[in-house]
Amino acid sequence: METVYYLVQNMLPVAIPLLLVALGGMFSERSGVVNIALEGIMLFGAFFGALFVLTVQRSSLDAQTILILGMLVAAFSGWIYSLLLSFAAVTMKANQVITGTSLNLLIPAVILLFSKMTFNSDGITTNISFYIREIPYLSKIPVLGELFFQRTYLTVLIGFAFLIIVTIVLYKTKFGLRLRACGEHPHAADSVGINVYFMRYAGVSLSGILAGIGGFFYAVGITDGNVSGHSGVAGFGFLALAVMIFGQWKPMRILFAALFFAFLRTLAYSVSLIPFLDNLGINQTYYKMLPYLATMVVLGFTSKKSRAPKAEGIPYDKSQR
Amino acid sequence: MQNKHASNRQFKFSFHDLTHNKGFSSFSSALMAIFLGLIFGFIVMIVAAPENAISGFSYVVFGGLSRIGDVFYFATPILMTGLAVGFAFKMGLFNIGASGQYTMGMYFALYVGFMWDLPAGLHWITAIIAGMLGGMLFGLIPGIFKALLNVNEVITSIMFNYIGMYLVDMLIQGNAIMYSSPTSRTRYLPIDAKIPSLGIPGSNVNLGIILAVLIGIVLYIILQKTTFGYELKATGYNKHASDYAGMRGKRNIILTMAIAGGLAGLGGAFFILAPTAIAGSSMTYEPINIIAANGFNGIAVALLGHSHPIGIIFSSIFISHIQRGGTLTSLVGYKPEIIDVVIAVIIYFSAFAMIMNAALSGFIKNRLLKRNAKSKDSEPEIKEAG
Amino acid sequence: MENYIVEMRNITKEFPGIIANDNITLNLKKGEVHALLGENGAGKSTLMSVLFGLYKAEKGEIRINGKSVNINNPNDANALGIGMVHQHFKLVEVFTVLENIILGVEPISKGFLDKSQARKKIVELSERYGLKVNPDALIEDISVGMQQRVEIIKMLYRENEILIFDEPTAVLTPQEIKDLLEIMRGLAEEGKSILFITHKLNEIMAVADRCTVLRKGQCIGTVDVKDTTKEELSRMMVGRDISFSIQKEVMETGDVVLSVRNVTVASKLHKNNAVKNVSFDVRAGEIVCLAGIDGNGQTEFISALTGLDKTISGTMTLCGQDITKASIRQRSIIGMSHIPEDRHKHGLILDYSLEENLVLQRYWQLDFQRNGFIRFNEVRQYAEGLIERFDVRSSQGPVSTVRSMSGGNQQKAILAREIDKKHELLVAVQPTRGLDVGAIEYVHKQLVKRRDAGKAVFLVSLELEEVMNVSDRILVIYEGEIVGELDPKKTTMQELGLFMSGAKRDTSKEGQ
Repeated sequence: METVYYLVQNMLPVAIPLLLVALGGMFSERSGVVNIALEGIMLFGAFFGALFVLTVQRSSLDAQTILILGMLVAAFSGWIYSLLLSFAAVTMKANQVITGTSLNLLIPAVILLFSKMTFNSDGITTNISFYIREIPYLSKIPVLGELFFQRTYLTVLIGFAFLIIVTIVLYKTKFGLRLRACGEHPHAADSVGINVYFMRYAGVSLSGILAGIGGFFYAVGITDGNVSGHSGVAGFGFLALAVMIFGQWKPMRILFAALFFAFLRTLAYSVSLIPFLDNLGINQTYYKMLPYLATMVVLGFTSKKSRAPKAEGIPYDKSQR
Repeated sequence: MQNKHASNRQFKFSFHDLTHNKGFSSFSSALMAIFLGLIFGFIVMIVAAPENAISGFSYVVFGGLSRIGDVFYFATPILMTGLAVGFAFKMGLFNIGASGQYTMGMYFALYVGFMWDLPAGLHWITAIIAGMLGGMLFGLIPGIFKALLNVNEVITSIMFNYIGMYLVDMLIQGNAIMYSSPTSRTRYLPIDAKIPSLGIPGSNVNLGIILAVLIGIVLYIILQKTTFGYELKATGYNKHASDYAGMRGKRNIILTMAIAGGLAGLGGAFFILAPTAIAGSSMTYEPINIIAANGFNGIAVALLGHSHPIGIIFSSIFISHIQRGGTLTSLVGYKPEIIDVVIAVIIYFSAFAMIMNAALSGFIKNRLLKRNAKSKDSEPEIKEAG
Repeated sequence: MENYIVEMRNITKEFPGIIANDNITLNLKKGEVHALLGENGAGKSTLMSVLFGLYKAEKGEIRINGKSVNINNPNDANALGIGMVHQHFKLVEVFTVLENIILGVEPISKGFLDKSQARKKIVELSERYGLKVNPDALIEDISVGMQQRVEIIKMLYRENEILIFDEPTAVLTPQEIKDLLEIMRGLAEEGKSILFITHKLNEIMAVADRCTVLRKGQCIGTVDVKDTTKEELSRMMVGRDISFSIQKEVMETGDVVLSVRNVTVASKLHKNNAVKNVSFDVRAGEIVCLAGIDGNGQTEFISALTGLDKTISGTMTLCGQDITKASIRQRSIIGMSHIPEDRHKHGLILDYSLEENLVLQRYWQLDFQRNGFIRFNEVRQYAEGLIERFDVRSSQGPVSTVRSMSGGNQQKAILAREIDKKHELLVAVQPTRGLDVGAIEYVHKQLVKRRDAGKAVFLVSLELEEVMNVSDRILVIYEGEIVGELDPKKTTMQELGLFMSGAKRDTSKEGQ
């Protein structure tokens, strides 16, 4: 049981960034834009979030307030960065995958450049602990308390809150209905007076906000509040894309996909703590490859059946009908 | 495409023909992307340290000229990864996995270099071929996933970048003959695994660049003159029509990805087996869990060269040139990473440079037309293209 | 002064290289059904797109209820009470009927979608106008006829007064067409004003009050339908007298070229099979036409016949060889030529030059390649020969990009390629789709020429007139089954229509 608690407690902070970023990718693709730049946006959000934390960590603010403020900073910067994708992909009708790739390349270079010039290091190192030993009252709930409300981060609760909001926005509001229409049949949306360009900007912007937050949460929950231009977010943006596909562009399924991947990764990094796996004597690097290999297997099985938004990846051109 | 027929037609000069020529617009849009990328870099320099911006920027633009040998030396691997990306692109496949293929190429070349005992003249050749096979293997897998399971090659090849990186680092660290723990990198390769130098004093330029250019020319011939090239481009333009015409699409996807992987693998081999005076830049490998940048630089090279093999030869030299210039900027206090920023900006703009170009030339033409037609009142409103 | 609800005055709309609407004037009276007649490419859809705000005209004025208006987008049009049923339905397939109807004008309560309010209104409308729909069905699950009713309710839901129907009957069965025309009359009687785009004269005679005819972007005139005849309308539309019938000699049929036995093909859209147990023969020297309403399994059958898709069961034999599992290339070598339904998707590589497209089926033959290298001189000579013989027009001859060519010339290029290739069977799928009358005549003549040369021709067509005029034998397909075999000389359009709509079937064909 201890092992289970340990795994869940360690898995959730990993699952949340994946969940948020995949939900972001979902908004973007549901509006019709393939967002391969999630990796770069995550890093951008993480960087500015960490930069904010660095500037205020000596102030009298308590850690959880800083986390929430940092999240807002990360969301804003993620949004700004995603505008570069919107501009190229929606306004200029450029190839979405190429643009996304360039945005992924730009950020590590910018961070390295900036950090080397300012701190003479590869990134930002913060010195604050966001870790929560236990949440008052809730942590006393039997089993559940220990699983979800002890030895955790505030990010986990915020992540689940976002999941609920996203689901409601997508399925219960006018905005969600219109957004989905733009990703499936933009000409139909246009013919009933919906501004497809605007909705696509909105979709990409939401993905920017969520990916920015996801990046910051990655830095909080996985790399101890530090951001490096070299290791970046270790392909989490790309894994989130796989999570989104595995989750079939649906919020609840994306949650389970994110948990699945997070579980594999947590397993990989805690091999030495699990006697059974440790005894097998397999090189730990194999486990590190596991999430990526699992992605391949999962996609291999699901992609024949998978049903992506019909118009994704195709720039919308009013005149071509 | 159009050029080869040009001689058959009467020679007539016209602005319209020139600007509507495919080659011309690719070239001018590449120039435009480069221009914007460099301007961006210049602005960053001004922000960082205004007093040195001019001299720093002139290092970026002209610095490489003083190190021509090094320009070619560093152009070799990105020429190969550029070809790897561009060749697949001709078929409509985005081979973002050149990094993983490149890394596998390096590993296979290292393995042959360290572990096989071969006669001096044969050793480096075998190592190069091994590198190609290594890259092919990692191109083949996304190809198979795409062809048989219809999994998007972009996601697959990204995943294989990570898998390749972890795998190679693990294999190297676990091999006591190759890996030296105290220096946390591999030992230096035996001398007979080294690609012959071209013997130009004071530079690291070697046979690799000659081979790479030759491979580029061969690819050009394959694409333009052969039935395979015809099928490949047809599939890239319109997959449905190529099926209809009885082309074996699945086979061609797998073949194209394997070739692309082989090209990137060769890039890795050319890089790791090159003779160099720069300590640690080749003949040895440091496993640090980072994805090879040369794979991604290949994307920039391919885009700038418009996926045309000959264009890629020139764009790789250009990218290498500004990279060299970038390292020189450290003389006036800048960080070489500035060039990575410039390259990323160039890719960003090349993604829509064609459209921007059309809009701009439309705009200029409008101005010209309007000036010419000022006397006529009936001049209709011409909408800007794009 | 007449009481016009819509006045479009002197509308001119240009596209690069073409004037789609040249100084066109159109007036719509309140409560009338006004037909807009013209061939493909005459400018009907462009004119309606201008009215609906999808295009902006360069010149001209639009007045609604006597007031000059600016219509910049569909929102403006909607605000002025203009609604449109597009030729290709603008419906999101994975949405429900209800979601499609409310899209863009969603009722909201407390910030969330209020579907129950919408449902009430939809049920009301559907009862009042006799438009039967199921609000909760997904669009991808319902029939084309019901999809069209959804489009109509979409307009009524928005309380539009001016309703534009763009070629609404093209995809319907004869029975559905009859129903639709009744619905249109009913709407007009309720006071709605209707613009009805079509090129089918019978429908105009049946439903329209007045008719405006366009030809090559110009307005030929507006006539009262009760004062005119079909012949006069057709003369206005085409600009000359046209003979609908095609000169054909009587031919002796030869050996069986294509033999299809018990072929079943799965559907990509639904769980039922798209083609069920189909059997027939096609002989040398005859044109056999597979007639049917769109979506009754023709596309799936052709995919299976030409090798683009697999069959579930059954066999197909071409020139005595079993081709059931043969590759596309093998079928082509044995003797199959294929003029595909969608020339842009399958038939051509638009970014290749004309000469490269002309060898698309033959580039691998020794005539055009040696050791894997393409022989460009031979390709050029061959292409020039074909261009000359088939009169394919383009700006730069063999090196013109196919994308830059007109639809008619693109189709000619495909015809030239498929006919000149060695073949015993020519499969032609809707070969006249989207062509003007001149090009249609040309295509029909070429098909007859093939037959006269002793080849087997298998034609798939949705146009009743084409079916009756070109074919020697008609097979009618309905819901994936061959429900009748007819002789065009002995049957009537009415009977053919009954077979196509499934109202009649030839029981002798069953169990074969």
